[in-house]
Amino acid sequence: MSVPILKQGDILIASIQAALSDRDLVDLRDELASRVGRLRSRGVVIDVTALDVLDSFATRTIRGIAYTAKLRGADAVVVGIQPDVAFAMVQLGLTLEGIPTALDLEEGLVLLRARKADRDHGK
Amino acid sequence: MESRVAIEHESDIVGARQKGRELAGIIGFSSTDQTLLATAISEVARNIVTYAGRGEIILSSVSDGTRHGIMVIARDQGPGILDTALAMRDGYSTGNSLGVGLPGARRLVDEFDLASAPGVGTTVTLKKWLR
Amino acid sequence: MADLVNQTPAQLLSREMGMTEQSVERRKRIVGLTAQDLERIAAIRDLVHAHIEEYTAVFFDYLAALDEGRPVLTNRSVAERARQLKREHLIAMVQSDYGTAYIAQRLELAMLYSKAGLDLRVFLAAFHHLLKNIGVTIMKHFEHTPMEGFETFMSLKKVAFFDIGVIVDVMVFERERVIRQQQDSIRELSTPVLQLRERLLLLPIIGVIDTHRARLVTESLLRSIRANRAKVVVMDVTGVATIDSKVANHVIQTITAAKLMGATVIVTGLSAEVAQSLVVLGIDLAKLNTVGDLQGGLEEAELLLGYQLVRGEHRMSRAPSAET
Repeated sequence: MSVPILKQGDILIASIQAALSDRDLVDLRDELASRVGRLRSRGVVIDVTALDVLDSFATRTIRGIAYTAKLRGADAVVVGIQPDVAFAMVQLGLTLEGIPTALDLEEGLVLLRARKADRDHGK
Repeated sequence: MESRVAIEHESDIVGARQKGRELAGIIGFSSTDQTLLATAISEVARNIVTYAGRGEIILSSVSDGTRHGIMVIARDQGPGILDTALAMRDGYSTGNSLGVGLPGARRLVDEFDLASAPGVGTTVTLKKWLR
Repeated sequence: MADLVNQTPAQLLSREMGMTEQSVERRKRIVGLTAQDLERIAAIRDLVHAHIEEYTAVFFDYLAALDEGRPVLTNRSVAERARQLKREHLIAMVQSDYGTAYIAQRLELAMLYSKAGLDLRVFLAAFHHLLKNIGVTIMKHFEHTPMEGFETFMSLKKVAFFDIGVIVDVMVFERERVIRQQQDSIRELSTPVLQLRERLLLLPIIGVIDTHRARLVTESLLRSIRANRAKVVVMDVTGVATIDSKVANHVIQTITAAKLMGATVIVTGLSAEVAQSLVVLGIDLAKLNTVGDLQGGLEEAELLLGYQLVRGEHRMSRAPSAET
């Protein structure tokens, strides 16, 4: 598994390093799905800080990762989209429809905890 | 000055866009423009892998006398596109994609040309000029 | 391109300017350089080599005599380098091999002149003076066959004009580069992104915005979001009188891009006219987070941020989070 997946309480953090192959991204999706199930994680942070390009394939796969996590009962958030990359994505017409985003890992964790709190309070 | 990158496997896509970014940087493009270009290269290179299996990306600096810029040629001898007008329509997609590929790539550059014939292959030419 | 790191400045400039072998050949064709010219030049090679020091001195003496020519000579190391390059140039000028290596040499000298701020007119005058001197030497040599002498000199002149073409292009290129940088600085100054408080940015859009400026604004904003870790951006368009579809789309893209970075954008100061334009352009204002005036927008922003800060402590009504 070439992408490090860290565990912080009941949250999994996947830090995608630069230049991941298509295969690696697909493997990541499957691995996260598996771990969310096994570890009963409540949240997944997909950290793309190191990516200098997010093309249509990468965006599609990241969406797939987020949806897969959701199907297994975990909230997902994408963090670390760089200014240039965000700009290119909107020019290209790519969206992360329905998937929350945050500036970085710290903000992503805050978001996940808040969502969990909302859910626990029966919102 | 020209640089040729063979696209034979999806793992070649990253190399092509890194080289594109590098050349764009040398020519003087801003960081944002470098990313736009690298993203466009990623899209057209991926098209080669998806639809033709193999092809090449040719990167070169260009000048039209007054402006300087970069040119990217994505060429393959794959099945070709039957209806290029249709392929360039926003939202159109034959493969498992978000439908952004070619029309999307066009938005990232200044000049875009698509030449394709069934059974012959496809050549996409992109140009981006320094402001 | 693994050798990028080891490129000399001249080689890098060569790339930037698109000096391919093809373009060099094109330049030769433009001045009409033929094989016969190369032969004639080869015939006077030794003759020119014998006078290299004299010619170099002639060139620099001419520069020294003019105020505008002195910049190259005031700094000793620059002057010495210039002389050395000129000497090498004169040798290469009659070598009958004018490829990319020759160009790189010309570029190096041109870059030196450009940096020293040498006036182009003065350079051309000095170069002409130098050529005249070479011409006199050639005519003396071909005393008994003046036609041949004349034709030899004309062949050499083709190379001289080839050189001038390159040098002028470099100086123009460098000047344009400076202008571009200056323009970028000016634009950056006119698209300020202000940090009002922690996590809150204010982006006042003032005056007429065109697509290019709109793009710069977006780039500036997105970088600021990262630098200031902003969660809310108040984009005030009170100062915008009219908006066309390109710019409107650009504003929408900016908002979308900001959301991808986890920031919410509140648009304030939308005049009735601009709002109407947006509606006509098919933009769904309901999708935008708009507030009438700047004050209202700032209050809304603080509400959003306040909610983030006390989340978990108070059961406040849920404010929208940065969700795409």
